[in-house]
Amino acid sequence: MRKLALAILILPLAACGSGEAPPKPLTAEQSAKLSPSDPKLAELYAGSCKACHTVKDSLAPLTGDRTLWDARWAQGEDVLLAAAIQGKKGMPAGGQCFSCTPDDMKALIRFMAGREGEQ
Amino acid sequence: MKLGRRALLGGAGLLALGVGGLTGRRLWLSREPEPPVAIDANGRALWSNWAGNEHSYPAVRAAPANEAELAALLPKAQKPVRPVGSGHSFTALVPTDGTLLSIDRLNGLVSHDAAGLTATVRAGTKLSALGPMLAGIGQEMPNLPDINKQTLAGALATGTHGTGKGIKAIHGDVTAMRLVLPSGEVAECSRDVRPELFHAARVSLGAFGVLSEVTLQNRPLERVKKIVSLVDTEDMLRQWPALAEKHRNAEFLVLPFTGKSALITHDTTTEPVSPRGTDQDSDTLMDLKSLRDLFEFAPELRKKAAQSAMADIPPDIAIDEGWKLLSNERPVRFKEMEYHLPIAEQVGVLREIIRRIESDARGVFFPIEARIIAPDDAWLSPFYERESGSIAVHAWYKEDHDWMYSLAEPLFREAGGRPHWGKLHSLKAEDLKRLYPRFAEADAVRRSVDPDGRMSNPFLQRLFG
Repeated sequence: MRKLALAILILPLAACGSGEAPPKPLTAEQSAKLSPSDPKLAELYAGSCKACHTVKDSLAPLTGDRTLWDARWAQGEDVLLAAAIQGKKGMPAGGQCFSCTPDDMKALIRFMAGREGEQ
Repeated sequence: MKLGRRALLGGAGLLALGVGGLTGRRLWLSREPEPPVAIDANGRALWSNWAGNEHSYPAVRAAPANEAELAALLPKAQKPVRPVGSGHSFTALVPTDGTLLSIDRLNGLVSHDAAGLTATVRAGTKLSALGPMLAGIGQEMPNLPDINKQTLAGALATGTHGTGKGIKAIHGDVTAMRLVLPSGEVAECSRDVRPELFHAARVSLGAFGVLSEVTLQNRPLERVKKIVSLVDTEDMLRQWPALAEKHRNAEFLVLPFTGKSALITHDTTTEPVSPRGTDQDSDTLMDLKSLRDLFEFAPELRKKAAQSAMADIPPDIAIDEGWKLLSNERPVRFKEMEYHLPIAEQVGVLREIIRRIESDARGVFFPIEARIIAPDDAWLSPFYERESGSIAVHAWYKEDHDWMYSLAEPLFREAGGRPHWGKLHSLKAEDLKRLYPRFAEADAVRRSVDPDGRMSNPFLQRLFG
């Protein structure tokens, strides 16, 4: 029990210590301005994911909005990749990118989740 | 009469069991479908359509960057070669274990004629991108479908349409095409150049080759006023012919089990812009589902609750350029059957569809959609030489849709309906020959450009024989 209490006390401190500012929500316009840095991915993104992931009414999480993506990202990349390939709820299978390889999809998920620069 | 405590407890227990049982039944019937495996035993990734009711594991995925690459690829690609647009068709037009060919990279404006109001665009351009692109040159398509995620090629191949008296489906305004044939030949066609190919392949089902460029006859960009209003279904049905005549674009959605319909109209206006608000359709749809979940076996209560909830809802009005208003986001996935009937048959058949659904398919909660489309002369067009009234029925992607075949399709067929090529139907070649006066000629052209059936999958074999 003491360990748990300590852990609860330490958690917020750890978050402070990471130096990472808490994510802020993006508008659809801010989201629509984002594009993958890799030209091939940028073309794939523009032809598929972008159609929904920059439109609020589509109910898809907006590209780059970590307030929407972080909980999804915490599920793990493999879970997100499987959802992208197989479809889930409003998300159609393949995310409408029919020339994407699984590696392309992984990279696109990483970009949309606001994690493009991370290893 | 006074109920004893024991009887009350027993009754409450039975009621609880009943409610629990019904809830459990609905949860089971509406469970998320088990998805096909992401990667098959051969290491091939899954392809599935938007609704999730069709899938395959293509051996090859190709995405040519330009027409020359497409022409080089087609004769050598592993067959069957199936072009894919946005996967919005509910029928099995796309599934292939050969080559899945995406034309996403063939997009953008090629040229335009400001005086003649025409624009030539690459066929992989999405309709959602085409709207702003044409607006940039002062043009707009005369109409747009309900969803705009489709590629232009996919929309043309399936006879995709909007609504409006005197307004044709999208392919009705095509004046010229560049079609890459299965041999790799790039064929230009129009009413004057290779007219047989133009007439046969304007609505092509992706069976004649792959479109690379399309020239559209557009009209000047205009502002429209969109009004969505709730009306009594009986009034709607009675007034529909007059309303369709009165508005530039009119359609209505019958909300089954409610006695109400949503009338959607668009008319040209010079009033100042009033942008569309946040989408309410998805919430409304889920409200209709909740009503279904609660009152599936009590239709009178379902109707009363719906009418009470819908009382005094004011019309929803937006004013903007047409490409921003005519199409909608549809985040709730569904399956759909739509037939195009001779216009005089539409209201009568719709009345009977409503009656049958409310009597025998109480699990239905999606609206029934009615639209109107002008005739054209493409040989495989569902609107070939006849003005059509369409009726579409829908089911949530998680739920059963067999009732469409047993309750709706026989009525559609009796009325001489032709199916939307991208939507659910059970017709075969012998049925289609009777419905399409130029079917044999279109098929002869198809066989001449694809003698080895390189673009034919099992579904197309069912359609063409």
